Amino acid sequence: MNVRIETIGQTTLVIPEGRLDFGSAGMFEKQLEQASPRKATAPAAVIIDCAGLEYVSSAGLRTFLLAARSAQRTGYQFAICGLQPPVRDVFELSGFSRIITIYADRAAALTHAPTGQP
Amino acid sequence: MNDSSLSSQARDARTSLTKDAGRAGWTPSTTLHSLNIEVHALAARLLEGRGTYARAFENLILALIIFSVASIGIDAIPGLPVWAMRALAMAEVVIVAVFSFEYLLRVVAARNKLAFIFSFEGIVDLLAIAPFFLARVDTRWLRALRLLRLLRVLKLQTHVLETTVAERTAELAAKNALLEQAQAQIKAELNVARELQIAILPATFPAKPHCDSAARMIPATTMGGDFYDFIELRDGQVGLVMADVSGKGVPAAFFMAVARTTLRELASHYSDPGTCLAQANELLCRQNPMDLFVTVFYCILDPASGAVRYANGGHNPPLLRRPDGSVEELNGTGGLVLGAMPGVEYPEHSVRLMAGDRLVLYTDGVTEAFNAADEAYGTERLVAEIQAHGDGAASGLVERICRSVATFAGTAPQSDDITLIVLTWKRVEAATLQ
Repeated sequence: MNVRIETIGQTTLVIPEGRLDFGSAGMFEKQLEQASPRKATAPAAVIIDCAGLEYVSSAGLRTFLLAARSAQRTGYQFAICGLQPPVRDVFELSGFSRIITIYADRAAALTHAPTGQP
Repeated sequence: MNDSSLSSQARDARTSLTKDAGRAGWTPSTTLHSLNIEVHALAARLLEGRGTYARAFENLILALIIFSVASIGIDAIPGLPVWAMRALAMAEVVIVAVFSFEYLLRVVAARNKLAFIFSFEGIVDLLAIAPFFLARVDTRWLRALRLLRLLRVLKLQTHVLETTVAERTAELAAKNALLEQAQAQIKAELNVARELQIAILPATFPAKPHCDSAARMIPATTMGGDFYDFIELRDGQVGLVMADVSGKGVPAAFFMAVARTTLRELASHYSDPGTCLAQANELLCRQNPMDLFVTVFYCILDPASGAVRYANGGHNPPLLRRPDGSVEELNGTGGLVLGAMPGVEYPEHSVRLMAGDRLVLYTDGVTEAFNAADEAYGTERLVAEIQAHGDGAASGLVERICRSVATFAGTAPQSDDITLIVLTWKRVEAATLQ
């Protein structure tokens, strides 16, 4: 799995590509942690763009849960977007779609995030 | 530091060595023997290992080599004052004495003395001291041979390098052995943990009228967190649990054990599956240091009527095969996994089994078994297998599905636990038989 990080204003875009399973979950967890704000002094957001994500196992799901928890604790927005149908099914089935904000695509997610643009 | 003590030691040893060599013929063997032991001990202390004495001796030799090479240069300066010439001559005596002592010590310490004497090291050592003994009186050309002492630096370096490499190799080998031992122990303990994990799963379905059930858990190579359970409840009802803990390894196995005990405990207190899962979720959220979670399908079957009440905490929907061969998923999915967030409700759903119906509960280890080409077994193949086999014992279908998954996966390693329950409800058939 490959992960790219982009920053738009106060928003961090995390873009994983490939398969998120037990083997890659640990690495993804670390990358997410490093990319996330430690302290939210100003409005901030982390968005995971899942458009390139082909598969998510239960160990992979856990990293999303950890990210959502850390956002809640620290006080920044957290959302995911661009889920492909198989990945979307996993989020629906596990009930994660009920506790994590999901947008259809990156554009939709960015309209709700602090990007420094009107 | 202890250079003075060393040189006095050196002198003692040298004299005893020469005496030793000279009188070997007539000295009583006991004295010779004890001397021999002492000399060997001294050689071991000064020449082998990386002890304080060995290091000090090595440094002394190195310093003397450098000094002696420098003195050859100074010696060549024309018109040197007499006192300087004398000092150099004195130094030369000391240097040669120490070098001779070292050479003899190495000869004595060497296992194969002849091999040492004729080795590169041995010859270089001898060439460094031989001119002094040969010349006695000062002969210029022989003194030039002293330049060969430069080679000794090389020799010493090689020697240091060899000992260091040998030491490091020994250290590495020892560490490797320790690592291997530790790894073997961890592996053995993990095997025990896996066996325990399987052992705590119920071996058989409680004997209930009209029911034929079978279950199987095939653990992955790494310890997974799947489990199933059959729980006897009041009024002859029976609870069925199918669950999958996120992640793998020891944390998953522990969480599995906690989740199973919690569910089992709560099942006897709460008669509706939704409340049971909600309460289990509260408890698991409180004792979850690793932030794990577990997907759980929990249903309560009334064997007398075929009524099934269930709640689903993020688990794959079980499949229900009707006698006509059609297969449907049990609705009511989308409940949150247990352990992720407190305060969640799990709605109760129900389905009534008809005579000959088959309920298949499974974990994603079945549908997400991958083959070498990285394709998943998938729900469709599972449904096809269930559709095709409506008759026969429940255990037969469990076997068929497991074999079908294994055949599909081929040589690809099993990355997740594979767990299955098949329950056939056959009331009418049983009634006719009676």
